[in-house]
Amino acid sequence: MEDKYADLLQQCAMRDQMAFKQLYEETSPKLLSLCLRLLQNKQLAEDVLQEGFIKIWEKAGTYAPSKGKAMTWMATVVRNKALDKLRSLKTKASETEIQYEGLEFASADLEPDSLENLSQDMQGLMECLKRLKPAQRECILLSYYYGHTHQELSDKLDKPLGTVKAWIRRGLEDLRPCLT
Amino acid sequence: MLDIKRYQNPEVFEQLAIEYVVGALHGRARKRFEVLMATHFYLQATVEAYEHKFAHLVELLPDEKPSDQVWKNLEAHINVNAPSIKEEQRSWWHSLFNIKSYALLASVLILSAVMLFNPMTGSPVAYTAVLSSHTTHTTMAVTRISQADMNITIDMMKQPDIPDNMHLALWCHPKGGGKAVMMGMIAKSGETVIRIDKAEWKNFKNVGLLTVSLEPKDSIAGDQPSGKILLEGQLTSIHET
Repeated sequence: MEDKYADLLQQCAMRDQMAFKQLYEETSPKLLSLCLRLLQNKQLAEDVLQEGFIKIWEKAGTYAPSKGKAMTWMATVVRNKALDKLRSLKTKASETEIQYEGLEFASADLEPDSLENLSQDMQGLMECLKRLKPAQRECILLSYYYGHTHQELSDKLDKPLGTVKAWIRRGLEDLRPCLT
Repeated sequence: MLDIKRYQNPEVFEQLAIEYVVGALHGRARKRFEVLMATHFYLQATVEAYEHKFAHLVELLPDEKPSDQVWKNLEAHINVNAPSIKEEQRSWWHSLFNIKSYALLASVLILSAVMLFNPMTGSPVAYTAVLSSHTTHTTMAVTRISQADMNITIDMMKQPDIPDNMHLALWCHPKGGGKAVMMGMIAKSGETVIRIDKAEWKNFKNVGLLTVSLEPKDSIAGDQPSGKILLEGQLTSIHET
């Protein structure tokens, strides 16, 4: 399947500013959404989004389609920037201005119409995640989307720390064979 | 003490890599893993593979439109930096007698001579390479990688003949052989500046050779130069006196 963002990234590598603008307009809403969940602060999230897109512009020529879709490459660039910021600021959930809906957006009961909009790779990942126990899946997704530590998950879910650690470890052990 | 053999066991490092990617590796364990990842390609590759698999999760997120200011800032950034990578139109004699390039070349040669007769220890503060034609051995470009401004600067002293459907790519080759890393496209004349991050700066200590290859415009870089190597030069480290 054609990856239109890969084509735009290639044009960005050749310093095509119009291609960069189109890439930004089409992908920034999802990437900001990711930053907002990790950083829980709109200004910080937009700062990180901006830093991420500067890196995307500067490193567009290093993107290799053999390693994955362009959107996943960009999401990885932006998420790593957000995680660096999160660690440097140690933002606490209690100090945040945004209350999020947990994992409602990642519900396994997605309507068929919504599923059609997902890439085949994402549908494959969802199939793998569905095989996990609900508690394991919830912990893994909360870690990914919100950057919660084991202790934060333990507090949030009101479960012992050891239980949360075991859910994540065993969940990922079960996930690995499905992903390869 | 880091037990490297433990991390060479696929059962151990694959689990650590997936935990790292989902954000379930914290504190000292995360830092320890990042230190190892910076020097072991197989850990980086495993992490990158899982990062790409999990990054599809972004598809499930609801859209959040950024404020207009974010694009304005980005636009200002790319416009400010545009001249540094834009090809400059010069006459042939101008490219032959580029004073700035020759001054840079002279400084590189002096620094190399100082390095040769007065070797220094400690961490490098910069690297340089004089890139010569792969066939005629004529000096064609000077490259400087500086920790102070975290840039690779490539100054083309002579404009190579390249077809319209091709462009030039800069590659770093590890000292001990292995996969090259493409650092970015470079202009066929004038100065190109490529930003680098901390991890890339650290990796330069393992780089032995820089090359510039001719790559088709309609393909995206892989793990090795796909086209003809036009220029090459050994990387030399510069240490603080």
